[in-house]
Amino acid sequence: MFLRLVADSFGRRPRHKLLTGAALALGMGVATAALSVALDVGDRLAKEFRSLGANLVITPKADSLPLEIGGVDYRPVNVGAYLPEADLPKLKTIFWHNNIMGFAPIVEVRGEALPRVLNDGGARPGNWIADVPIIGTWADHAVPLPEGGEFRTGVAKTNPWWRIDGRWFSEGAKECVVGVAFAKRNHIHIADSVSLAIGDLTVIPAPLTVTGILTSGGPEDASIVVPLSYAQSLARKPGEYRKLYVSALTKPEDAFARKDAKTMTPAEFDRWYCTPYISSIALQIQEELPGTDVRVIRRVAEGEGQILTHVEMLLWLVTLAAMLAAALAVGASSAASVMERQAEIGLMKALGAGSGTVGLLLAAEQLLLAFVGGGIGYALGIILARLLGERIFGAAPEPTLLVFLVVIGLAAVVTLLGSAIPLRRASRIEPAPILRGE
Amino acid sequence: MSELRNTNRVMFWRILRRLLAANRGRLFVMLLALGAGAAVTAALLNLQIDAKRRLTTEFRAFGPNVVVVPKGSLSSSSETLPQSIIDSVPANVPSGRVTALSALYLVASVSVPPSGKPGSAVVAGINPLFFATAYPAAHPNRSVTPSGNACVAGVRFAKQLGVRPDGELVVATGDRRESCRVASFLETGGSEDNRLEIDLRAAQRLADLPDRISMIELTVPGTPGEIQNYIVDLQLRIPDAEVRPVRQFTEGEAKVYKRISGLLTATVGIVLLLTALCVMTAMSNVAIERKMDVGLMKAIGGATRRVVRLFLAEAALLGLAGGVVGAALGILLSIGLGEAVFGVAARPRLIVYPVAVGLTVLVAILSAFPLRRLASIRPASVFRGEA
Repeated sequence: MFLRLVADSFGRRPRHKLLTGAALALGMGVATAALSVALDVGDRLAKEFRSLGANLVITPKADSLPLEIGGVDYRPVNVGAYLPEADLPKLKTIFWHNNIMGFAPIVEVRGEALPRVLNDGGARPGNWIADVPIIGTWADHAVPLPEGGEFRTGVAKTNPWWRIDGRWFSEGAKECVVGVAFAKRNHIHIADSVSLAIGDLTVIPAPLTVTGILTSGGPEDASIVVPLSYAQSLARKPGEYRKLYVSALTKPEDAFARKDAKTMTPAEFDRWYCTPYISSIALQIQEELPGTDVRVIRRVAEGEGQILTHVEMLLWLVTLAAMLAAALAVGASSAASVMERQAEIGLMKALGAGSGTVGLLLAAEQLLLAFVGGGIGYALGIILARLLGERIFGAAPEPTLLVFLVVIGLAAVVTLLGSAIPLRRASRIEPAPILRGE
Repeated sequence: MSELRNTNRVMFWRILRRLLAANRGRLFVMLLALGAGAAVTAALLNLQIDAKRRLTTEFRAFGPNVVVVPKGSLSSSSETLPQSIIDSVPANVPSGRVTALSALYLVASVSVPPSGKPGSAVVAGINPLFFATAYPAAHPNRSVTPSGNACVAGVRFAKQLGVRPDGELVVATGDRRESCRVASFLETGGSEDNRLEIDLRAAQRLADLPDRISMIELTVPGTPGEIQNYIVDLQLRIPDAEVRPVRQFTEGEAKVYKRISGLLTATVGIVLLLTALCVMTAMSNVAIERKMDVGLMKAIGGATRRVVRLFLAEAALLGLAGGVVGAALGILLSIGLGEAVFGVAARPRLIVYPVAVGLTVLVAILSAFPLRRLASIRPASVFRGEA
């Protein structure tokens, strides 16, 4: 009988139920879309912030003090310590190896350059240019992974603001990329070539073909960028590097992350170690690469953390506001649908139904509506969130069970609360005047 | 004739009053739905305008984004600029104030007295020029700047030379010597870690370059477009120097700004649209209950047009009331929210208020739309209880 009454109520007033259901579905759609985007936005923006480049820099622990002015190290090549290149694949074995988005080892030397500019078809050798900064690094290097497969990385990942006109050099080939200021001053264009040497200038080494012009906006604009192996042979440091830039996907640091790792309890330490904070990733790299000094590039990491925290908070507030508005509108809608049924309630009570039974019946109706409306709203919201995610970040947020549960729960609570107040008033009604139509 | 019209008008308002007062519960529900919609609309609009502006000041966290260097000197540090060039740097931009820091770099031999062995290191003479008052630090992580006798040591520099906090340092080039006291340590992960920062005047004496500087670092707040304009403008003012954006940050900021403002606009837009739809359905639900009223009015001779006008007036009145109260609440809400997110209360925008109220009235009138169908009601069937 109970179920029949519920079914009957839906059959008898389809338009009413449809409208209340629609309000529910729309409200819950807003809640779902906002919630999905807010849950997802941290990860997406963290990826976006990687366009700022590396946030960790690794140098030898035993290194002498770099004499760096305007981004150029004035130390001679044989001063200071180097690190073995062979250890680099270990970076992809740390606990958060999936968060290592890219890394690039650097060898900087200062040497002499002899440009050979193509002129009217013939190559015209110029003069030796002294004291040219030469940067050896990876452009697009395949790092073999210990568990098989390979990881492609290089300076294009760690310094994504570097713009190349032409193309990067290929590893192994006798090619190089020339900074825009250097190229302009010496009238070098793509397809010209440059010979590089350190010290001994009596034998002109085989020239490197210029494949691209680099614009970085920094000191690199005045330098020549060559494959790492070539810079190593120039510096006579085969298989070694001096500086390593790492770009890692991190979680913004909170108060917990700033605690000193040494004073943590073992449980706290585990939690800290297993959270991708920049400081815990730095520690894990240090464990894998002995003899290194891993430092956080604070300017990048902290600026990113601060902005990310604020934007996430802002989005949560928007989400909260959206859910609040949806809840109020849905509550109002269900309140209205109960309020209109005083006559029906009067009749039921006249026929001997207690207030409890009437309440139960109406609650069952509202809940049924909440589940159906909430379900439709969830589907609607997921579609919206996908559209939003794809438009803005080029990737849709994954639908999660959590959002579904929250939305259905919210729908149930809101409809019940919305109907509770008119229901209480209705339960106080005397059936007789209602039935008389007063 | 005019008297008749007058009576009509009086009657119109009287019916309206009765319609509103007839069912207090219904009135409350409608006002609640409309008010909630108006509050969210006003809060989101206000927050959105404010957040975009605030975001650009947030980018200060990245530190300097524009540098001024001697023309054509990308790598060689020997060239310098006259210190007076800083007077040509405009201090105000639409989004706030520019902070600047001028520096002179030199390589000097540094020793820790009395016994310390001298080692060569980069010494930077720093002179921060605080145009801004709201943000006391030109750099992130920089709480102390060198001045007078106090200097700031980079962490790696300090480790190499065994510098202790508050210890004495002697900096020398040739036969020129300066001494200073280490006031604090600096860790940035950048080249600042490897150097010693001293007062600009001391560095100028050491390098024997009075009133010269190597570069100026500027932190310019604003949208990517505003920063670009600032660079172009500054380059025109100081043709003898080169003004360059720090592309790592200007480009990163531009990308992130685009994403975040797109996200905000889209989210706010969708939330507003769905909130409007939601309020509309809730209102329509109430509206179709009005069959009896319409039936009665038509039965006693109300023209369809007048009946519809009556209900539309009711909806508009409700929208106005809900909007006026709700939008005010929403603006108050957004002030609080702005404070929670950015630490600074959002400035209320007056334009938001009329827009939110107007939107609410519009939604209320639109949601009375199903009433048009009531025009086709046949009074007799209503009274027979058929419909």
